[in-house]
Amino acid sequence: MPAETQHKKIVVVLPVYNEGPVIRQVISSLLKIVTTIIVVDDGSTVPVIKQLHDLPVVLLQHKVNLGQGAAIQTGLTYARKLHADIAITFDGDGQHNEEDINSLIAPIITNEADVVLGSRFLPDSPGIVPFTKKFILRFARIINFLFTGVLLTDAHNGLRALNRTALEKINLTENRMAHASEFLFEIKKHKLRCKEIPVHVRYTDYSIQKGQRPRDSIKVLFDLLLHKLFK
Amino acid sequence: MSGIQLVLVTGFIFIGLYFITRLKKRLLDIVLLFAMISAGILFALRPDITNILARELGVGRGADLVFYISILIFWFVSLKLYARIRKLEQQVTSIIREGAIRNATEITDINIH
Repeated sequence: MPAETQHKKIVVVLPVYNEGPVIRQVISSLLKIVTTIIVVDDGSTVPVIKQLHDLPVVLLQHKVNLGQGAAIQTGLTYARKLHADIAITFDGDGQHNEEDINSLIAPIITNEADVVLGSRFLPDSPGIVPFTKKFILRFARIINFLFTGVLLTDAHNGLRALNRTALEKINLTENRMAHASEFLFEIKKHKLRCKEIPVHVRYTDYSIQKGQRPRDSIKVLFDLLLHKLFK
Repeated sequence: MSGIQLVLVTGFIFIGLYFITRLKKRLLDIVLLFAMISAGILFALRPDITNILARELGVGRGADLVFYISILIFWFVSLKLYARIRKLEQQVTSIIREGAIRNATEITDINIH
């Protein structure tokens, strides 16, 4: 890790729900980059503590499954308590590359941005996104733009970094997948500076099977409409 | 009074009484409820009024008008219920979150044994 980041307290928030096979691998590779990992077990059927018994992480357990948005917010609330300078959200299914973390936090270290979002669709983004994913994400970014006025190149990318200001201000109330758009609502509401950087997403059979299906986008849209209606 | 009128009017009166006992101090809700129940009873006893209203509003039959209004009320109630569910969900979330944070486990080699 670069020298200027040494004195910053960097915390990774890792929401986990029934991630049996890959979770140890994800955490072990993250531990090479960061020292503090907050694992939020979102009510997994087999409690994740059994798989993590020897890994130095902080484990928070939701008694019942609430959804990824709720798990991330629990992790962020705990990161506030730890007085983290930078909080990173990272998906538990192994789709993100831990090596992207350094470039993700760079704009925060140089104070160019309050929130840094990973993107699969910047010109420099490595890797290939499957066609249906690409199509839905293109559509989702337009929807996000219509709802938030923030036009990004990617939508629903789970890799993000927040500085202290953003960590204190952002508060997610959408428990399920609509939290990704809610991040943008919050960025706009609190006038946070936001930047996208290219990241690599691994589409393994596992992460595809765990990930969002096309029909889930309808649910997200419905949640967004309700969010706007009842906020 | 025909059979169906008797059933409907009794039904409306029971629903009204039930809600009034529940909504003791919420004046606006009681007024709204009273208006709806009165309209219900009136339409049950004098169905011809719905026909006149329907014609005024450009709907063919009184029964159709009542049906359309019912759909609107159904949507309104569904949304109210949905809002209530979301509120409950947020309360549950905050309770579970507090519990999770209170019982945070810091896993180290020490507490394996």
